[in-house]
Amino acid sequence: MNDPFEILGIPPSFDVDLPSVERRVRAISSAVHPDRHVGGTPTDRRAALGKAVEVNDAWRVVRDPITRAEALIARASAAPRPAGDAKPDAAFLMETMERREALSEARARRDAPAVARLAAEVAALDAAVSARFAAASREGEARVHDMIGAVAEMRYYRRFLDEVGAIEDDLASTANLP
Amino acid sequence: MMLFDIFDPKAAPRPVGIDLGTTNSLIAWVNDGHPETVTDCDNEALVPSAVSYDERGNVIVGRAALRRAPLYPRETIVSVKRFMGRGASDPETRRLGPWEFVEPKTDDEAKVVRFRVHERIVTPVEVSAEILRALKRNAEDRLQRVGGVVITVPAYFDDAQRQATRDAGRLAGLEVLRLINEPTAAALAYGLDKKQDGLFAVYDLGGGTFDVTLLVLDQGVFQVRATGGDSALGGDDMDRALAARLLEAMGVGDTGWSPEVVRLALDAARSVKHGLTDREAVEIELPKVAGGEVVVTVTRDELDALVRPIVERTGVVCRRALKDAGVTAAQLDGVILVGGSTRVPFVRRYVAELFGREPLADIDPDQVVALGAAVQADLLAGEGAKQDVLLLDVLPLSLGIETMGGVVEKVLARNTTIPAGARQVFTTYADQQTGFELHVVQGERELAADCRSLARFTLKGIPPMPAGLARLEVTFRVDADGLLQVSAKETTTGVEQAVVVKPSYGLDDAQVEQMLLDALDHGEEDLSARRLVESKVEAERVVRATAQALAVDADLLEGDERAAIDAALAAVRAAVDGSNASRVRSAMEALDHATHPWAGRRMNRAVSRAIEGRRLGEVEGAVASAQGVEAHLEAHGHHGDPQ
Repeated sequence: MNDPFEILGIPPSFDVDLPSVERRVRAISSAVHPDRHVGGTPTDRRAALGKAVEVNDAWRVVRDPITRAEALIARASAAPRPAGDAKPDAAFLMETMERREALSEARARRDAPAVARLAAEVAALDAAVSARFAAASREGEARVHDMIGAVAEMRYYRRFLDEVGAIEDDLASTANLP
Repeated sequence: MMLFDIFDPKAAPRPVGIDLGTTNSLIAWVNDGHPETVTDCDNEALVPSAVSYDERGNVIVGRAALRRAPLYPRETIVSVKRFMGRGASDPETRRLGPWEFVEPKTDDEAKVVRFRVHERIVTPVEVSAEILRALKRNAEDRLQRVGGVVITVPAYFDDAQRQATRDAGRLAGLEVLRLINEPTAAALAYGLDKKQDGLFAVYDLGGGTFDVTLLVLDQGVFQVRATGGDSALGGDDMDRALAARLLEAMGVGDTGWSPEVVRLALDAARSVKHGLTDREAVEIELPKVAGGEVVVTVTRDELDALVRPIVERTGVVCRRALKDAGVTAAQLDGVILVGGSTRVPFVRRYVAELFGREPLADIDPDQVVALGAAVQADLLAGEGAKQDVLLLDVLPLSLGIETMGGVVEKVLARNTTIPAGARQVFTTYADQQTGFELHVVQGERELAADCRSLARFTLKGIPPMPAGLARLEVTFRVDADGLLQVSAKETTTGVEQAVVVKPSYGLDDAQVEQMLLDALDHGEEDLSARRLVESKVEAERVVRATAQALAVDADLLEGDERAAIDAALAAVRAAVDGSNASRVRSAMEALDHATHPWAGRRMNRAVSRAIEGRRLGEVEGAVASAQGVEAHLEAHGHHGDPQ
């Protein structure tokens, strides 16, 4: 049983109420965490450790939109697909490249407001493609190709936003220097 | 009451918590539901983390050792925690300090710092074990017998530093139940004290380490959201900054330097720092190198200016932790101060400004960690753990594997809840390659060379095949102590080659064992007698636990499992009556094997029950809030107040 939704006992869906799943994870952890089985046999303790690891891993997958999307794709596809079988179209790649250039220019200028503007723009695009993914995933296997396309875009946005994070850290920490 | 405690050799062993600090260490226990620290014969709870070796081979620990420091600076080791799990070439070993280090002759030796003290060579693990032994003796004076121990470590300690701490515990003859993170321990002490759910930040600035932890407290579950820190940043840095200024006043430049003078300046700096906690200025008389004395006045403003760059480094770490946790300072319900260095007024002002609220410091910041550790030890000790409190902690630093070109492929990201596991598949890059070298690293940097190297091992015997065909599955598992185990296997050929690596840091298990033997008076016989007793006690415990499980979950047994378990139980009982430790061990292994599939089914049942219980809880919660609305209407409904 490797399906994270099954492990956590929640319906497989992209739209999950994270706070409620987090409370559920806490409840399960309260039952299976190794600390709850310190008085048990070594076999029990190992089984508890294995279960606790499984639950934590499942939560890690479900909590992150990209891994959650990947898990839904795995459920929807009959056979596992090789990674990267759906490349975003040329127009998308062009846009992404332009935005990256704008970001590195803003960084060079130490222009924090411009960095924030770009981040907001990409966050909005990310929200839109996430909604597209959610809609496709509700139809399951029939639209698995659209799901794969959407998650590929989500990965690009994620990388962009990670980079923004690093730049913001950098600008914040060097701004403090005397 | 203490006066009437009668020595009872059969007294129950008491679980204890230990804060093994950079500057001071403490031991605490839970007395009738309330954690309290153990005090020594001078009624002091704090034991200075100082170990001094005299010329006759005696080991002196604590205040007496500290008193020897000015006279015997090379023979007195303070702040040894800074060296735990660090290599000889680590920048930490080259900072201002009076000690003599042994130049490593081999790569293996270079993995561990070695102090030269008289004719002896000691490692930080041994020095720390001396501190732990002293604490244990103090606790035995009060509690007669010490049982399982929880030792705290800075949240930001890496795997090497954690392993070294665990080894020190073993070397001191302690049964280490668990290593827990200091900020989490502090939160445990506060959480149980205040009984308030919410999101908290723990700001822990000790003598040598800084940690910040963000955690959610929800009905007894303490869940760490993010942690960050710097395991080489603390009050010692403030002392060094101030000592540099004092050395200048004493006329010490490139000449006049000696271990004694450095020690004197560091001690003077510390007392000036302490004095400035409630005063605006402090005067101190110091000897000049050229002879005579000089009176130096240090003001609070001067100290503030000296410590500002050190404290500002903590701000960067706090901001990153907030970001990792996905929260803002405004969402916090409280900020908790831990560690003696948070007494420095500048630190308090800085923290208040950083988080936009006055921090809590009502539990003594020097004691709170040990008190929390005692609570956790009490929770973990005994049979049938208590069900009301649980700590869910995280991995502080990412774990990864070095790939082609020296780039790190992250396998487990920082702030992953532990215990955790992850699997990554690698392949061969050359035709007919039969060996595969794996380099396990820890840290956030992109290049393996910039991260902490934890272990290197080679998976051998891969059948020759074209490049890219072999499937090497590498599994990482981090247990609840935050300690890593790595295993690897080749899966294409069906021939499973598995290696398990527990990263070790210059001191392998055999060496620790040897040190343990050396420490015991009667060496080998003693150890094997102790092993037999320990294995019998453990076997009896397991027999009881199995019987309990059978009473509860016998309906989950399948086929002839019951008969197999009964037979295995009988074999364990028979072995316990004998005096052969290895027979006990093998009977236990057989029992382990017989109960394995059943244990898995029992764990699944525990999960379903937890989910059911939760659903029930949700319904009850909904009913309660509905009642709340009614009560509210009753109380306020008739007023027609537009509020």
